[in-house]
Amino acid sequence: MKKLAILAVGTALFLSAVPLWAHHAFAAEFDAKKPVKLRGTVTRFEMINPHSWLHIDVKGPDGKTTEWMVEGGSPNALFRRGININTVPVGTEILVDGYQAKDGANRAVGSDLTFPDGKRLFMGSSSPDSPDANRSK
Amino acid sequence: MKHRIPVTVAALAAATILMTAPAFAQGGAGVKGSANAAWKAPRGADGHADLSGTWTNATSVPVERPKELGAKEFYTPEEMAANAKKAADRAAAQAAQAEGGDLAVHYDTNQFSLTGASQKRAPSMRTSLITGPEGRVPPLLPAAQKRQAARPRSTFDSYETRPLAERCYFWPNEGPPMMPVGYNSNLQIIQGPGFVAIEQEMIHDVRIIPTDGRPHLPSNIRQWFGDARGHWEGDTLVVETTNFTDRNPFRGSSDQMKVVEKFTRSSPDSVVYEFTVTDPATWEKSWSAEIQMSKIDGGLYEYACHEGNYGMANILSGARADEAAAAAKK
Repeated sequence: MKKLAILAVGTALFLSAVPLWAHHAFAAEFDAKKPVKLRGTVTRFEMINPHSWLHIDVKGPDGKTTEWMVEGGSPNALFRRGININTVPVGTEILVDGYQAKDGANRAVGSDLTFPDGKRLFMGSSSPDSPDANRSK
Repeated sequence: MKHRIPVTVAALAAATILMTAPAFAQGGAGVKGSANAAWKAPRGADGHADLSGTWTNATSVPVERPKELGAKEFYTPEEMAANAKKAADRAAAQAAQAEGGDLAVHYDTNQFSLTGASQKRAPSMRTSLITGPEGRVPPLLPAAQKRQAARPRSTFDSYETRPLAERCYFWPNEGPPMMPVGYNSNLQIIQGPGFVAIEQEMIHDVRIIPTDGRPHLPSNIRQWFGDARGHWEGDTLVVETTNFTDRNPFRGSSDQMKVVEKFTRSSPDSVVYEFTVTDPATWEKSWSAEIQMSKIDGGLYEYACHEGNYGMANILSGARADEAAAAAKK
């Protein structure tokens, strides 16, 4: 059975038939063929326009830490859905499901986040455009 | 248990949609003033009908009428109810389809009021925002088609060749005329003696409209949002905008476009927004639309679009990566 304790918040991106992501197209910046799963610690949450960015330190199997940036929805859209700067405090351990930047840099668009207690948070990213159906269960 | 959530939610969504249907029927919404003809708008600080407040122009009415509806401008109450049922069935089918997949609960957007059905929008029985028997934007004149075809195309060569929306100049919803936009479709009106100001949340620009009777700017001065002048006709604010540039066409318009907007407070909770677009260099005749705005709580959130536009750099570097990959294949 799926966990019912779910914190699912999202942006108004779903709200109408108007193009979902008016600011830029998912495919211009990210690669739907590069899904990533990043486990890391939040170092900074930039609630800036036109997109918010979550910075995380990801520890690899070799113990080496790499910095990643994860794109999310616009702050005004996130605020309306109850996300603020305190929702993902610095130091939070987090699992990010997303898609990597086309240029191969340590940047991704955040599809969703999972907290250590299993609660999940939808970041309001542009990734609904991308194939979600085959994601791991 | 696993099946319960989406089904319950779909039922709730259906109920929400169905419950709102009778309201359409009783109010006769979509026809100005018909909801409550006896109601008189409160006065603003300038003594005129008070338009001030925060409003949403979100709507489920399409801009253009579906072709199969012909000249039919309004749905009947029975058709509204049937449409609502169809939408509810669709939502239920989607929920059922999602069930069993990873997204079943997490992306059941009905559950957390994230769907169109749960966003505040003014009820309307209109079949399209564009009014009249056509219900569609008239076809572009041949000269306008030629002009459109000659416009520079956006490319990935530089930030300067990316679309204006992506560059945070402005979005096409801002107008005038002001159109609903996919998310945060909100605006605030502030009204005082001699001026009315309108800020649209997406993407932050403020229209400052003199209502003191001053003339338009000379015709050689052209502005992104044109040059607006307002006056009152009874309780309706009428705004005429001219002096557009040729650089941000509205549906193929030229710099000769003239937009006349009318704002009428129709109830404590609503403003009727009408506009007529005229541009003899683009369309054979004028066309008009009507959008209902609903009052929402609170103010706007700031959308300072360009405070951290990492996306632009990423888009350009993504294009370079694509080019390198294509070159390597050769």
